This record gives sequence, C-alpha cells and structure tokens, in this order.
Amino acid sequence: MRDILSVDEDVIDLMDSVFTDHQETRTPSDPVTFDANLWDQLAELGLVRLTGPEDRGGGGAGWPEATALTSAAVRHGVRLPLPEHDLLAGNLVDELGFDDDAGVRTICLLDDRGRARHVPWAATADRIVVVWQVGEEHHAADVPVTALRIDPGFNAIGEPRDTVVADLDALDGVVVPNDLVDSLRLKSAMVRAIQTCAALDRALDLSVLHATTRIQFGRPLAAHQAVQGLIADIAGECALARAATEAALLAAVTTDWSAPGLELRVAVARSCVGHAASIVVRNAHQVHGAIGTTREHSLHECTRAALAWRSEFGSVHYWDQQVTHASAADGGSGLWELIAR
Amino acid sequence: MRTLPRLVPAVGVVAPRTATLRADVRGFLAEQRTAGSFAPSVDGWLSQWDESFSRALAERGWIGMTVPEEYGGHGRSFLERYVVTEELLAGGAPVAAHWIADRQIVPSLLKYGTEEQKRRYLPRIVHGECFFGIGMSEPDAGSDLASVRTRATRVDGGWSLTGTKVWTSGAHRADAFIVLARTEAVDAERRHAGLSQFIVELRQPGVEIRPVISMTGAHHFNEVFLGDVFVPGEMVFGEIGRGWQQVTSELAFERSGPERFLSTFAVLAGAAEEMRSARLEPDVTLGRLVARVAGLRQMSTAVAGALERQEPADVAAAMVKVLGTTTEGDIADFADVLLGDESGCDPAFLALVAAAVDQRPGFTLRGGTNEILRGVIARGLGLR
Repeated sequence: MRDILSVDEDVIDLMDSVFTDHQETRTPSDPVTFDANLWDQLAELGLVRLTGPEDRGGGGAGWPEATALTSAAVRHGVRLPLPEHDLLAGNLVDELGFDDDAGVRTICLLDDRGRARHVPWAATADRIVVVWQVGEEHHAADVPVTALRIDPGFNAIGEPRDTVVADLDALDGVVVPNDLVDSLRLKSAMVRAIQTCAALDRALDLSVLHATTRIQFGRPLAAHQAVQGLIADIAGECALARAATEAALLAAVTTDWSAPGLELRVAVARSCVGHAASIVVRNAHQVHGAIGTTREHSLHECTRAALAWRSEFGSVHYWDQQVTHASAADGGSGLWELIAR
Repeated sequence: MRTLPRLVPAVGVVAPRTATLRADVRGFLAEQRTAGSFAPSVDGWLSQWDESFSRALAERGWIGMTVPEEYGGHGRSFLERYVVTEELLAGGAPVAAHWIADRQIVPSLLKYGTEEQKRRYLPRIVHGECFFGIGMSEPDAGSDLASVRTRATRVDGGWSLTGTKVWTSGAHRADAFIVLARTEAVDAERRHAGLSQFIVELRQPGVEIRPVISMTGAHHFNEVFLGDVFVPGEMVFGEIGRGWQQVTSELAFERSGPERFLSTFAVLAGAAEEMRSARLEPDVTLGRLVARVAGLRQMSTAVAGALERQEPADVAAAMVKVLGTTTEGDIADFADVLLGDESGCDPAFLALVAAAVDQRPGFTLRGGTNEILRGVIARGLGLR
C-alpha cells in the first residue's frame, strides 16, 4: 500500500539542504525577519508555489509536499509565510482565477468594518487576498498591500501578525463560494497543526540528542530512568498529535476538503496537537535543564513556536469546545459513530 | 540535520469493504441491547464473562475471524477483526469469555501451533466453545517475566509441570491456558534462555484453582497451582527453549489493540448523553478526551496495519498502550470528579462511573506496566 501522504525522500533532502545552508548564516538569537534572499532562492527551486497548477507556473504538487516543505522549514527554525502564500492565499488566487504574479501573498478574512486582526505576515507581503462577507455570500479581492492600512503586530515568537484595515466600499471583489471560505478556515487550522507537529518532533529530536550526550553523575542523562520516562512521554504525545493530524489531512486531501465530518477531524487534530504541546514543551525543557532556557540554545525555536502556533486560528480551548459540542449534540448513542464513521 | 525515524506507522486509508461489516456489528449490538441481553459495561473484555453472548458472536463469524477455513475459521483479515473488536468494545459488550482465545491464542496457534494443536483447538475457539487463559505472571514474576519459576521436567511421554501462576483471568471458567515455564536452570548471563510454553488443560488432576478476589468483591483473577501436572509431548507449544521469543513476538498485538483505550468508552458516551440531556453542564474536558480517543484510534489502526504487513511495531504498540490506558483512566476520573451525592444523573451512568473508577488501577498495570513500556519506548529512541 502506498502511503498517500508520503513524499519522495529526494524532495525532502532538497528542502533540508536549502534550509541547512541558510541555517549556517544565522543563530537562534536572531530576530524574525522576512528573508527575501531565501524566499527568492526557494522560488527559483519552484518551492514557493508547490501546489499551484503547472499551467499557471505552480509546482503541481499537493498538500503532502507542502506539508513536507513547511515541516522542513520548522525543523530548521526558518520563519517564512510559505503555507500562507501557497496553501491559503495561492489556492484562492488559483481557484478564483486572479493573476498570479511573483509577489509574496497572505490572506485574511475581514470583519464587517473591513478589519482583520492577527493576519500572518501582512506587513511583509506584496499582496493580500482579502475575503469579506456581503449578505449571505463572500467576496474576495487580491489587493496590493499599499492599498491597505497595516498596523504591525507580532505573535509570541516575533512573527508578523498584523492588523489589516480595508475600505470595504472601495474594494472590487468577486464572489467566493461559501464552501471555499469554510475550507479556508479548516486549511488555516491544519497549517498550524502541521507546523506545531513539526516543532514538537524537533523538540523530541533535541531532547534525545541532549540526553544521550550530556553527562551527569558519570553517565549520560539518558541512563537515568526518570529522564527516559520524560522523553518517552514526549515521543508518545508527538506520535498522537501526528496521528490525529495525518488522519484529518488524509480525509481532507482524498476528498478535496469535503469529507463528511471533516470539521470534527480537524478539531480532533487541533485538540490533540494543543494538549501534546503542553507536555512536550514542559518535558523537553525539563530534560534540557537551564541551558534550554537560553536564547542561544535552539530549543526555544521549537518550544516557543509550538506554544504560539497551537493558539492561532483557534485556541486549544476553542477546538476542545468544538469536539465537546459535537459530542454532546449526538449524545451517548452517537458518540462512537462520530469517531468511527 | 539529525531526525529520528518515525516510530509510529503512517495513518492509512481504512478499507471501504469494512463498512458493511461495521454496520452489521452495530446492528447486532443494537438488537441485543434492545432485547436486554446485555447493558453496556466498562472493562467488558476482562469483567463480563457471557458464554451465550460469545456463542451468538461465533454464530455470526465474529470470533477467530482470521482462522483459515481449513481450521473451521473464516479467513478474514486482521483489519476486519479489528473493526469487529473495536465495535464490540465501544458498545461495552460482554466479551471476556472468548477475549484471550480470540486475541492471543488464535494468532499464536497459527504461528507456533502444531497441525494437531490447530485441529484440536481452532475450530472450537471459532465456535465459541473453547475459552483460554494466559499463564505468564507468577507471585515472584510480574513485570520481570524472565524470573518465572514454574518448572517443566521431562518425563516419559511428555513433561511434568510444577509451580504457581497468578492473575490468570477466567481460569475458573476457561478450558485451558498457555503456561510459560523453565525447562532449563537460570543462566544469569542469558536470563531469557531456557523458557518454554505448554498448553495445559485446566480441568485435570494436579491443577488447583483458587480465586483472587478483587477489591470490589468481584472474581476475575485466580491463582493456579500446578502440582506435578502431566503435559503430553504433543502439547508443547512452539519450540522448547524458545518461550521468551514466542511470548515477546506477540506483544505488539496485545498492547496496541482497541481494548487499550476503549475500556471506559461507555463512561465517555454516558457523559456525552448526560450533557446532551442537560443533567451535566457541558465541560470541555469531554472534548479533550473524545479527541484523544479519536487520535488513539488512528494510532492503533496504523499499528494494526503495520502488524498485518508484518512490520515491526513494538515501540508504536507500547506508545498506544501507555497513552491509551492513561486516557481510559482519565475518562473514569473526569466523570468521577463531575459527580457528587446530589447528582441528578442517570443511575446507570453513576454505576458505570463507579465501576470504571474501581477498574482503573488495573488499566495501567495489565499487559506490561506503563513504567516498563516507557522503557521499551526509550529503547526504541536509542536512550538505552
């Protein structure tokens, strides 16, 4: 059986090598900036529009490849709006037939006053795909960032999360089918689940590396049973988060994001990922000792990122609530059928 | 960049051909519940021994599903068996009578049994007429299984077994059990050598079964004394001296199945029902636990797929068991802290929760304690 979500090892090696070269030019202490050189390099390799159709200059790939790229970036501590540009904004640009020029894009849903908060990478984008509600339907436009007001903001790890303000009356949009808007919300949630999983896996790698190389009491930390237990629990949570995320992604990509109960699967993934982050971050720092709390050590690149991302596009509490509501709506006899469709 | 190999197999697509089977099992359970032949219970695979229910399942072909037709079975896939067992567990069905035979003895017999053993036991297991126990633990050998002391000595025509087995679920009702015994003296350098397995009929001279009563007063466990019990040579199971390898090769099946996270599913469903009926306030912990069970099911199914493809999955199985049994216990505790003596909840739900709380300590002990399993995971990560 071929694994639908698997990606060719050569492709992953290519991604890793680009990010490894880049990693040598920076340290974990450097602030987050949009690195235009790296972006251009990735663009030349055809990696920034991986999932765009080939006849529009895209890579013709799918979510599995985009997931591999995003995860590779996370593993190397690279902060770029890769999934926002390709999987979210780029997808809508393709679907709605907007001109796909070479600029960097992000996307946001405007409220009825034309505002959107916590928009990822708006201040560094060239264009923003804005989506807004008009009566019962949604409209979208691909707008140059210069035509919008951007109030800069940041998430906990210093990634741009900006407020975007548009003049709704001045926008000229096309109708977006509502199911595309619904799937945009789910895709955004899944992007952060994928990134968090990659960050948690990295925390596991670093914990194993530290525990096997750091000597205390005359033996490696890993020789201490209590430390083994901490890391075993990290591994278990990483595996559970990944299983729930892959299950949701598999259901999504095999049905073009229309699987029955997909919302619940995404909520399950986000809940598992969110709670996994609590345990993984706590245990990884415990294993690393004081050195892991410093700016120069790379552990924070994955632990702080995991905590930041698990709270974006819905808090952990929000996703728990979604699962709770679905469970309580169906009651006792329906609960298992909700889980095992 | 150094990255660890993935320890849990990838989530796969569930074969669509199982949809009809799943619907059949759900229909059967609904029918049986309506007829009053069972009420959903917690830990039904350990505590609810119901031979007539087992036979009703056998009539539908849902015991020993993977047994080939030549041994009276149905030649179904491991994943089809998985669907049936997860449906039975989620429904809180009384499946203890045939559980060990179906889960453990069938795959072991198919792998290690002689032709004669297979012909003798498999058809009866498939028909729900032969129930088994497991003879591994001893008073001085719990997690440290290699320290078993039961001795098998060669005698004319077979072996003579003497020793004590404990925690033998259902021994007072089962027909036979598979005993792990020493066939050679302990070699301190090679503690796992010199162990062998035997099929021992429980109703025979020299076998004495004493109940080990649980703290609730229930009787599931037993102590089984073997006093010079004769086991004919043809009841040697597998190879003499290979007992350890035989026992450990099957552990992934035992540790990754749906019974490692669904033992208290009836409580989770009950809590959802109480919230739907507004007898309990909505509580997001319900969602957290439902999500966890759903995620665990994906992990467990992925491991089942790997086992069917005969890929190693010991570490992944240990992860399912550590996370799953902890979650089963968390479900019991979640419901328990919501309820007080003035609760207006359905009395049947209150009874389920009380039973779940009492069964909980066993979840993280049986089949390898979670501490031992964390060691297995740590070894898989290269930490030891």
